[in-house]
Amino acid sequence: MDKNIAIIMINILTVLFVPFLVLGIINKTKAFWGGRKGASVFQPFYNTIKLFKKDKTISTTTSWIFNFAPVVVFATTLFAAFFAPMVNGYSIINIAGAFVIFSYILGLGKFFALISAMDTGSSFEGMGASREACFTTIVEPAFFIILASTVVLSGNYNFNSITNTISNFQSYGILIAVLASISLLVMLLIECSRIPVDDPSTHLELTMIHEVMILDNSGFDFALLSWASGIKMVILMSLIANFIIPSGLNNSLNILLYYLIIFVLAVLTGTIESAIARLRMSHVFEFIFVMSSLALVIASLTAVKIYGV
Amino acid sequence: MENFFTGIIIIIFGAFISLFLKNQNHKIKLTSISAVIGAVFTIVSAIKALSGTLEAYSFYLGPVFQNVVISLDNLSAFFVIFISLMSALAIVYANGYLKKYIDNKKDISAHCLFFNLLIASMLLVVSAKNALWFLVVWEIMSLSSFFLVIFENDKKEVIKAGVKYLVYMHVSVVFIILMFAVLSINSSSLDFDQFKILLNNNSALCNLVFVLGFIGFGIKAGFTPFHNWLPDAHPAAPSHVSAVMSGVMIKTGIYGILRVLSFIQHPSAQIGYFVLIISVISALYGVLYAISQHDIKRLLAYHSIENIGIIGIGIATGMLGLTYNYMPVAILGFAGGILHIFNHSIFKELLFLAAGSIYTKVHTRDIEILGGLIKPMPKTAVLFLVASIAICGLPPFNGFVSEFLIYFSMLKGLMINNVAFFIASILSIAALALVGTMAILCFTKVFSIVFLGQPRSAAAEDVKEDTTISFIFPMILLALFTLLIGVFPQYVFNFMMSVVNIFTRNNAVNLSQTITVMQTLSYCAFGLCGFILLLFVLKCLFKNKHEKHSTWGCGYNKPTAKMQYSASSYASPFIKTLTPLFKKVSDIKKPRALFPAEAHFEEHLEDVEEAYFLEPFFKTVERFFAKFEKIQNGNIQQYIAYGLVFLALALLSVVILG
Repeated sequence: MDKNIAIIMINILTVLFVPFLVLGIINKTKAFWGGRKGASVFQPFYNTIKLFKKDKTISTTTSWIFNFAPVVVFATTLFAAFFAPMVNGYSIINIAGAFVIFSYILGLGKFFALISAMDTGSSFEGMGASREACFTTIVEPAFFIILASTVVLSGNYNFNSITNTISNFQSYGILIAVLASISLLVMLLIECSRIPVDDPSTHLELTMIHEVMILDNSGFDFALLSWASGIKMVILMSLIANFIIPSGLNNSLNILLYYLIIFVLAVLTGTIESAIARLRMSHVFEFIFVMSSLALVIASLTAVKIYGV
Repeated sequence: MENFFTGIIIIIFGAFISLFLKNQNHKIKLTSISAVIGAVFTIVSAIKALSGTLEAYSFYLGPVFQNVVISLDNLSAFFVIFISLMSALAIVYANGYLKKYIDNKKDISAHCLFFNLLIASMLLVVSAKNALWFLVVWEIMSLSSFFLVIFENDKKEVIKAGVKYLVYMHVSVVFIILMFAVLSINSSSLDFDQFKILLNNNSALCNLVFVLGFIGFGIKAGFTPFHNWLPDAHPAAPSHVSAVMSGVMIKTGIYGILRVLSFIQHPSAQIGYFVLIISVISALYGVLYAISQHDIKRLLAYHSIENIGIIGIGIATGMLGLTYNYMPVAILGFAGGILHIFNHSIFKELLFLAAGSIYTKVHTRDIEILGGLIKPMPKTAVLFLVASIAICGLPPFNGFVSEFLIYFSMLKGLMINNVAFFIASILSIAALALVGTMAILCFTKVFSIVFLGQPRSAAAEDVKEDTTISFIFPMILLALFTLLIGVFPQYVFNFMMSVVNIFTRNNAVNLSQTITVMQTLSYCAFGLCGFILLLFVLKCLFKNKHEKHSTWGCGYNKPTAKMQYSASSYASPFIKTLTPLFKKVSDIKKPRALFPAEAHFEEHLEDVEEAYFLEPFFKTVERFFAKFEKIQNGNIQQYIAYGLVFLALALLSVVILG
């Protein structure tokens, strides 16, 4: 029991505070490739603290939705994190079919993020919201196919069964885990508004998606929203980590490996951002369909593995 | 059973007595009071039936009908409960909604009469256990709803929609008659119990009967190739009628399908996949067209098609579970599908009623010219928001519970060792996820264009919310239902089990896992709500200074309502990726020359089924029948000659055939 409590504590702390570090590392990596010294890796944390203290400006067009939405977005993201397998492959709320609940809770957050953007009556934010809604429709089915396949592979409906993918199926498992990790990485780039889909470092370009939706948020609200976005990134990174880490390792090694993978993923994201340019909007769809096709490949591999067709 | 009949008699009598009242306001009051009292009686009877009392009555109705049995088994009782409840709420709402029409000296007697007749006939449909009796009450139901649709019969498009509806309903009834004919010829009886015995172990006949029944009832329910009447009939009808039609009446189609299914012990794999494919297509088709609509009621009508598809996915999964003899899949699939019937009727009715409240204030159904209504109509906005979240299937509301059950049954289905079902399940899971996210896109669109931002036209300015009790009370009650089912799924699930037993024939299955999950879902719903509220309170305590300013517009300080994103622009990135699935009709006049005097742009999307299939088809039919115009020339002597020729031929055939 004590061990469980310790892991729950580690999980909660990871979810809450690792996002800042991940963002810091990404920025540091980008600075490194750009030949700059860059800000400290703790800078995102200081920024958020500062934002919490700041006054805010609210548009006269907005209603209570605009005030309420950041709270919903933050709460749902954090709550969804309780369902996902995090450190040591441990889900705080571990029940059958959890990945469905996980996605739908995130969906509630997205719903409020979208209407909050529309609440300002700004054409920029409307544009962002409409694109975000559109991309989600393509991402989500692929995510469900991947998770459903891993459910069959492990024969267990719990979300953290993804940790067994490799150990249950040896070479097949490795193949599936790698494909799943790649498609989740693609999902991470889309959902957390990173290059090549979106550019988090600028707010003012007409090709913006997620970042433009929070254009009118400031102070406390903005802090909550960017924190939530960081948490989402850590959740998706944890999923990748749990796909890769083989189960059956001892706890400390497992935890060490987990943080190592998160670190590598942060560096990788930063490197991707430095290496390639943002895609044209019409090509973003093609990029997202990479995820869909990978998901279908995973599903077919699963069918082949189980039924030996 | 006395309660049930008392209820129905009260409902019908209330309606007829209202015809003799002079005051229009009293008419609607009397009908609604009788509907509510009748609802109480029928619900009491249904609850009795569910708790194990035998609720049945039979009488001999001449040699044609033979023995008519009216009884409430669990399936009927479930439908009786929600038909009574939802219709009563809608007619209470009508008190407020019809006020405007009464003030304009519109006669509402026929409307009141047919509304209660519709309720009574729906109740009789779901309790009938005799084929001929079923067809009679079914027809009364279709006809009375037709008269409700053409309430505003001075409008041309209303009559057109009404006639289309009538035609569709009669095509539907042809298939239902065919199905019952096949059944009663083979069993030489009209009794449902005999059909059940007949279909036991006769799988070829099962398939034929089911497909006929599915097409017939599917037209009523609005499954995709047969859905075309829905998006026309719903906008034409008054809001509370659309609410009942979409929330309750089309579910009698689903009831029919479920009833036919209850005759069949082991549905074959073919019909299971048939239903699954049609349902997936319906769900996707419905939500796709909903996204492209700007008429709020038309949009909601397309969402009914989507939800019928989701219900169908649940039922199909249940059927396949029966086929492969894997009970957990069957139970969860049916439970999810049937619960979604109830859930959909709650939030869809709420949406239609809220849309009606908006319509009475702004007098338009076009969402493109609305905006900012959350300020003048805060209560309607919250209610609409609740229903929107529920229809997207998001927690903590009821839509999530039924969709989760369907997901869960398909996840279990993945484990059955059958590769066809594996592929079907995994694709349906993806389809359901796609439908869910598309619904989010659609309802964020509707909610934000109607309620948020700035008013886009004068129609949306100077609106004042009507909070009379008959208007707001039914909606609040419906919103409460969505929340209660969402936060207490475990009780609802237990309730569903008693209904599902009809299909799984009381096979004992260990469902402890699902019950635990339902229990946890309840905790999670509470946790989520609590967490959001706690954070919100914290945020309110955390008082920062804030200043008001107009929306940031890239340095431009005078934003106007016209600069906002519109509904079509919101949907456009998604629609653009799927262009081939629409027929685009556009009218563009580009600005020309140095000083362009005028420019014009108009575009709307048409249903491909209607544009590329139905219209050409009906044109061909019309051309074909035009050839026979010569026969009907108005000359009475010639008609008598036809009669003579016919009689001669008939005599001849008797002689020849002996």
